[in-house]
Amino acid sequence: MNRKALIVDDEELVRNYVRRALAGRGWAVTEAANGAEALRLAVPGAFDAMVCDLKMPDLRGEEVIKRARQACPAMKIVAITGSVSDIKAPLAPGVQADGFLIKPFGIDEIRDLLEKLTRI
Amino acid sequence: MTSKANILVVDDEPQIAEMISSALQLYGYAVQTAMDGEQGVARVGAGKFDLAIMDIQMPGMDGITALGEMKKLDPEIEVIIATGHGTMGTAIESLRKGAFDYLHKPFEIKELLKVVERALEKRKFNDITRAIFSTVRPEEQLRVIIDSVTRILKAEESLLVLPGRDGNPYIAVSEGLEDPGAAASRLEMCSRIMDAPEETSKSAVLSENPAGDRRFAGIAGLDKLKSSLFLPLREDNKPVGLIAISRLEDEAYFTEDDLQRARIFASLVGLALRNSSLYRQLQETQGQLIQAEKMSALGQLAGGLAHEINNPLSGILGLTQLVMENTDKAGQNYADLKDIEKAVFRCKKIIVSLLSFSRQEKAHLEPVSLNEVVEETLTLCARQMELQRIKINRQLAPGLPMVNADFQQLMQVFLNLFTNARDAMPEGGELTVSTSLDGAGGRPAVAAAVSDTGGGISPEIAGRLFDPFFTTKAVGKGTGLGLSVCLGIINRHNGGIRAANRPGGGAAFTINLPAL
Ligand SMILES: Nc1ncnc2c1ncn2[C@@H]1O[C@H](COP(=O)(O)OP(=O)(O)OP(=O)(O)O)[C@@H](O)[C@H]1O
Ligand SMILES: [Mg+2]
Repeated sequence: MNRKALIVDDEELVRNYVRRALAGRGWAVTEAANGAEALRLAVPGAFDAMVCDLKMPDLRGEEVIKRARQACPAMKIVAITGSVSDIKAPLAPGVQADGFLIKPFGIDEIRDLLEKLTRI
Repeated sequence: MTSKANILVVDDEPQIAEMISSALQLYGYAVQTAMDGEQGVARVGAGKFDLAIMDIQMPGMDGITALGEMKKLDPEIEVIIATGHGTMGTAIESLRKGAFDYLHKPFEIKELLKVVERALEKRKFNDITRAIFSTVRPEEQLRVIIDSVTRILKAEESLLVLPGRDGNPYIAVSEGLEDPGAAASRLEMCSRIMDAPEETSKSAVLSENPAGDRRFAGIAGLDKLKSSLFLPLREDNKPVGLIAISRLEDEAYFTEDDLQRARIFASLVGLALRNSSLYRQLQETQGQLIQAEKMSALGQLAGGLAHEINNPLSGILGLTQLVMENTDKAGQNYADLKDIEKAVFRCKKIIVSLLSFSRQEKAHLEPVSLNEVVEETLTLCARQMELQRIKINRQLAPGLPMVNADFQQLMQVFLNLFTNARDAMPEGGELTVSTSLDGAGGRPAVAAAVSDTGGGISPEIAGRLFDPFFTTKAVGKGTGLGLSVCLGIINRHNGGIRAANRPGGGAAFTINLPAL
C-alpha cells in the first residue's frame, strides 16, 4: 500500500529533493510551500507522515506542527531546520515532533527516518 | 541625554516610514522622512543627521547604494538597514559597507529603539575617539583630552594630573583654572586621590560638595565647587594619572549618565596613553569598547547566516545523492558527484566552526580587578537593561585581591551572563551582581555571582546548560554558545562556574577565580 507524506517548506529546492527521495521508495508525496497551506491539507487520514520546516514566512514551524498534531493525532511528524539554534524547538511541550533533521540532510536520512516512524 | 538626536527615515512604503517616525518622535527624537534612496541622500547632503534608518529594497536607488552615498557625504552618519525576509545576503553586504546594524522587517518598536540607542552610543564613542586621536603631537593630544572632557561633561574646570619625574604630581593641562591659588588647591585634591589605592582602583570617584568632603579636609579654596569627578588613569593596571572635572556652585550635580560617559572616556584615555601608535590604536580602542557587544552580534549573525546557507546546501546534497542513485558507480560522473557530496559536508563543518569562532579570543593575562570588569560590563549593558525595565543591584566587595586574567574575556563572560539574565526577565525584574572573597577551597579565590528574578532553571535542562548549542531560545535568537563560551573562558583561567536556582525564584550563576 502506498504511504502518503506531506512536505512543508518554503524552499522549493528542499521540497523537490525530499519529494523525489521519498517517491523513489514508494511514497505518494504532496508539497506545501507554507504553513497555512499545510494546515489546509493536513486533515485526518490524509497523510501518514509530515515533514515540516521550522522557519517559514507565514507561520512558525512549531505552530504548524502543534496544530497539525491536534488535527491528525496519528500522523508522524518530522521537523527540519537549517539552524542549529532550533534544536530545542520541536521538542518543546505541546510540539513534540517525532523526528528531527538538521539541514543539510541527505536522502537516506529522511527515507530511513520516515520508514522507521511509520513501520507498524 | 541622547534623545536630541536627528534621525532620517528612508522607506518607500509611507505607512512604514510613518510608523517608524512617530514611534521615534514619541521617544523624543527629531525625525525626517524620505521616500526613496535619492531623496534620502539629498536630505543627508542638505542637513546634519546622527542616524539614518533605511529600507534596503526601494525603487530607483536601493538601500545599499544610498548607504554608500550617505557615507561619502557624511562619514560620521550611522545607518541602520531594514531588511525583508530572505535578504540576509544584502544585510551582510550592508554591514560590510559600513551600516551599523540591520533590522529584520517586521520589527518591534522595542527592537528598533534598542538598535537606535546603541548606534547613538557608538557615535558618542566616535566623537570622543576622533577628538583624542586626530592630533598627533602628544602635548596637543593631552589638550584635546581635557577640552573634550570639559565640553562633554559640561564642566567649568578640568585638569589632567600626571606624576612628575621627581615623583610629585603636576598639572599637565588644565581648563578654567587661571587663578594659581585655585590650581594649587585642585592639585592637592588630586594628590590625595592618587595617594589612596582604594580610590585609584575605581573607574570614577565622585565628590559632591568637596569642601565638606573628609578626603579633602584642610584644603582651602574648595567652597566654589559643587561637585567634582575624578577619573583615575591606568596603564597595565598601575595608576599613571588622574583627570579631575568640576562643576561650580550654581550648576547641577553630576548624574549617573555623566558618570557613565566619564568612565567610557577614562578607558579611552587610558588606552591612548598605553600605545603611541595612533592609528592602530584608533581601531583597537573602538574595537575593544564594543568588542563584547560585537561578539554576541556576530554570533547572532552567524546563526542567521547558517540558516540561509543550510537551505541551499541541503538542496545540493539531496539532489546530488538523487543523481548518484541513477549513475553508474564505476564512471567518472559518479566520482565527481561523490566529491560534490564531500564538499557539502565540508561546508557544513565550516558553518559550525564559524559559529564557535565568532565567540573566541586569544587570552591576554594581566592582573585584573574583578569589580572593574563587572563595572565596565554593566556600563555596556546599562541602557539595554534600563529599556527592559531591569533594575541593577551592585554588591561589590571593596578591596578584593586581583586575579590573573584577560579583561576582555572576563567581560565576555559577564556579558553573556547578563544577556541570559536579561532574556530570562522579559517583563523586567532585578539583576544582582555581587563579588566577594572566597576562601572555601583552601587557597584564596575571588567569587562573583550574577542572579536574576526570572523563571529560573528547570531540573530537566540543568545538566545541559553548558553544552554547546544547547538553547531554549527562539529561532535566530540564541545560538546556545553563550554559557559554553563562559565555561571555556573560566576553565582557561583555572576557575569554576556553577548554575543554581535562588530560593526565592530566579537563577544564580557563580564564578570563582584564583586570587593573585
Ligand atoms: N539566567 C537564566 N535563567 C534561566 N535560564 C537560563 C539562564 N541562563 C541560561 N539559561 C538557559 O540556558 C540556555 C543556554 O544558555 P546559553 O547562554 O548557553 O545559550 P543561549 O542564551 O540560548 O544562546 P546564546 O548563544 O545566544 O547565548 C538558555 O537557552 C536558557 O534556557
Ligand atoms: Mg546566552
